[in-house]
Amino acid sequence: MTRRMLTALVALVGLFVALYLALYKAGVIGVLACGAGSCETVQLSKWAMLGPASVAAWGVAYYVVVFAIALTVTTERFAESRGFPLLLLGLTTWGVIFSAWLTYLELFVIHAICRWCVVSAVLVVVLFVLALLDWRQVRGRSAVIPSEARNL
Amino acid sequence: MASKKTKTAAQVRAAQGGKRPFYALVAVIMIVGISTLSYMSSRPKSVSYLDTSVAPIANTGHVIGSDSAPVEVVEFGDFECGACGSFANLTEPDVRARLVLTGQVRFRFMDYPLPNHRYSGPAHMAAWCASEQGKFWEMHDALYQNQDRWPRPRAERVLAELAQRIGVGMEQYDACMATGKYAAQIKANYEEGNRRGVGSTPTFFFGRKAIAQVVGFDEFKANVDTMVLAAKAAAAATKKK
Repeated sequence: MTRRMLTALVALVGLFVALYLALYKAGVIGVLACGAGSCETVQLSKWAMLGPASVAAWGVAYYVVVFAIALTVTTERFAESRGFPLLLLGLTTWGVIFSAWLTYLELFVIHAICRWCVVSAVLVVVLFVLALLDWRQVRGRSAVIPSEARNL
Repeated sequence: MASKKTKTAAQVRAAQGGKRPFYALVAVIMIVGISTLSYMSSRPKSVSYLDTSVAPIANTGHVIGSDSAPVEVVEFGDFECGACGSFANLTEPDVRARLVLTGQVRFRFMDYPLPNHRYSGPAHMAAWCASEQGKFWEMHDALYQNQDRWPRPRAERVLAELAQRIGVGMEQYDACMATGKYAAQIKANYEEGNRRGVGSTPTFFFGRKAIAQVVGFDEFKANVDTMVLAAKAAAAATKKK
């Protein structure tokens, strides 16, 4: 199991978490399984909407894109690509910043914690770490190639 | 050249073989995810039926609608509950405009402040204190519309601000809040909810049918229509006798 495969798997799990919240927000799922958290307070607050769609729906779109890119870079054709790993790093960095903002809102503005949002935030941090490690490897590899080429 | 080609093919085969666990995991996550979401979206709503020995509610809670309306719907609600807020802000305006104001139904709100909601108690008290001046429903709406503002330390200050905004006389309101004048009524409503098996909010009673979750307008109306038909049938049966 490579790091990129792990990235795709984590993004897929995140996709289902976001889909769960988006379906609740759309009224398809009646009650959130939230335990001791306050998912409904968070999901029904004004912060749960961002422009025309719910934050959860944006989350679904985000995880779909990250999953698609991670899946692409697991193929032989894009194994050596520098663009996709960089894109993945950019997307996951944005994800971490956005999740941090959402967590701040939960803690200090809404005063309620949605455990599914926390799960998503943790997944985004894991995705960021994986993307960062992958990017460092890609950069290291491309730095080595010219010196090898010189020896040929 | 040929050996190089063979090696490449072998490498490709090895790479494909190495990906098998990955694709298997993708498939497992997808199957588990889709099955779980399908199950959750198809789960029947929490519906139960009240025992016939439990008497209907009268002379308590807060009522909106005509006394001559053929049926009554009762909500056990908590002002700090997000789901109750969702019903109050999204569905209730339609219910009032299309069912209550047209005389088809009477709507009764009963206090059910959940023990784990720290600021719910003062909010229910504020609603009763506003009710003393004929402003219960205005306060009810203000509380649900401002759920992101008052459930926090020093809630009383925001509650007073909301009361002032809807035109409640503050001297009387402050005195009412300070003495906790309606604590017994709130507790009685809560106990009534417990007698009826309420365990979560919102819980709606369409006659003896209890729905313990948010209902949309269509579902609300369908239940009212059923109640109206049942009431008409009962009236016709009484006439025949």
